[in-house]
Amino acid sequence: MGIVTAISLLALYIFNDMVGDWGRLSGGWENLVIFFNESLWPPDWSILEAQSYPVCEQEVELFCSVAWLGMVETIKIAFVATALGFVFALPLSVLAANNLSPLWMAIPARVILAAMRSLPSIIWAVLFMIIFDVGTLAGIFAMTFYTVGYLGKLQFESMEGLKNAPLEAAKAMGMTRAETAWHIALPESANHLLSHLMFMFEYNVRHGTVIGLVGAGGIGLYINTYLKLTQYDKVVALLLVVFIVVVLIDFLSMAIRSTVTEEGDVRRPSWSTIFLPASISSKYHTTPMKTSSSKEDE
Amino acid sequence: MNEVLAHLHDVSIGYDTPLIEGINVEISEGDVIAILGPSGIGKTTLLRTISGLIRPLSGEIELAIPSRGGLGYIPQRLGLVGNLSVRANVSMGARVRTSRWWPAVFPLPKEFEEDISKAMRHLGIEDIADQPVRILSGGQQRRVATARTVAQKPKLVLADEFLGELDDDNVEVVMRTVHATIRAQNSALIMVEHHEKLAKEVANRIWRIKDGKLIEEVVS
Repeated sequence: MGIVTAISLLALYIFNDMVGDWGRLSGGWENLVIFFNESLWPPDWSILEAQSYPVCEQEVELFCSVAWLGMVETIKIAFVATALGFVFALPLSVLAANNLSPLWMAIPARVILAAMRSLPSIIWAVLFMIIFDVGTLAGIFAMTFYTVGYLGKLQFESMEGLKNAPLEAAKAMGMTRAETAWHIALPESANHLLSHLMFMFEYNVRHGTVIGLVGAGGIGLYINTYLKLTQYDKVVALLLVVFIVVVLIDFLSMAIRSTVTEEGDVRRPSWSTIFLPASISSKYHTTPMKTSSSKEDE
Repeated sequence: MNEVLAHLHDVSIGYDTPLIEGINVEISEGDVIAILGPSGIGKTTLLRTISGLIRPLSGEIELAIPSRGGLGYIPQRLGLVGNLSVRANVSMGARVRTSRWWPAVFPLPKEFEEDISKAMRHLGIEDIADQPVRILSGGQQRRVATARTVAQKPKLVLADEFLGELDDDNVEVVMRTVHATIRAQNSALIMVEHHEKLAKEVANRIWRIKDGKLIEEVVS
């Protein structure tokens, strides 16, 4: 407790030192309220209407809107980048986990992962735009590279947190490293791997707004355009669309992870578990019963 | 003539300081050895040392068994993969009977399937073969861990309190299956056991750990 207090006080001292003159903050809140009322709110929902050009040939107008086209492209980029990133991150994370690989393998693997995540995806996007020109391809490569570095680190740390007993049994039995990784480490850490995978997908969707700013495609490209045109009410509307998609991904993540966790641990999501506190939502949705087989011997 | 499977030459075991010193024993085919002694005296450490998971502080351990699949190990916490099905866990025992070059991502060759099913059948877990291990009770999980070792057909089985949490009927089922496996393979079992009466019923050799020494007792 003493250490936490000391760190908090130190942080406050540095913060105060960095701000310097608190007087310059006067009037800031009023400025924000004016900006919010005049430029941000209400959001301009015309982003959900069909664009005037090209002519919309869809039956539903929404499918030709800026929000739909941008979000779908962002989700596509994020999906491809997350999937490819996962495929490359998985073997690297097995090599980097020091309970699965010897040190001479783990250290180079960690260096590769650190190098890949030390550049933010926006910098990777700039580099790949030099190679592939402005557009979706640069966005996919940028996100994939960052995903490998970031996801790889999360995954090898999960694997290092595995219980010893299954790994020791495997070692004593004479299982190879590949067998131990494939048949023990991956299924045993499945909950964390899926959680990280879904988090990374959500992160990449959110980050689609950022790398789009440098021309790497997706909804960010539209946000960038509206920012340049100072149409902030449309920017807010697009950001709310991104927010809704992020909430939906969180919903999906809970549903997927509930398949690899003990019943009652991560519950299948419902409207109440998403929007209400646990104490209230439990009145509407009860925890499913355990299977009859688990009662035996108890 | 029963062959010697393991030989411990003047072995001392422990982590920083020795727990048991001067161990000189042989383990031969057909042996069922129970290790007795109070908690924290080094019984589990002895099993882990024989299994090769930790090195002895001094002395030498000679194992005359294959490095892959020759040794079956049931740790105190069983070492099962909770997210995998009962069948997948039992299959891991059979997997170490394949060549070490058999790709990890490949399914097992068909000839192992019968052994896996037989091991599950003998231990009464065939009807829960597709259930994930994490939802099973402690007793069921112990039977899964035993079935994994039975499907492995090792020459030397090391089992750390693997009969705990089992009721009398299940102890009998598990021990009958393990005995049958040992007889069929002409292998040996070393088990850590807290219940002296049970140990004397099932073992033909008793190792008692006392005052940092391993004392072999004659089973009457």
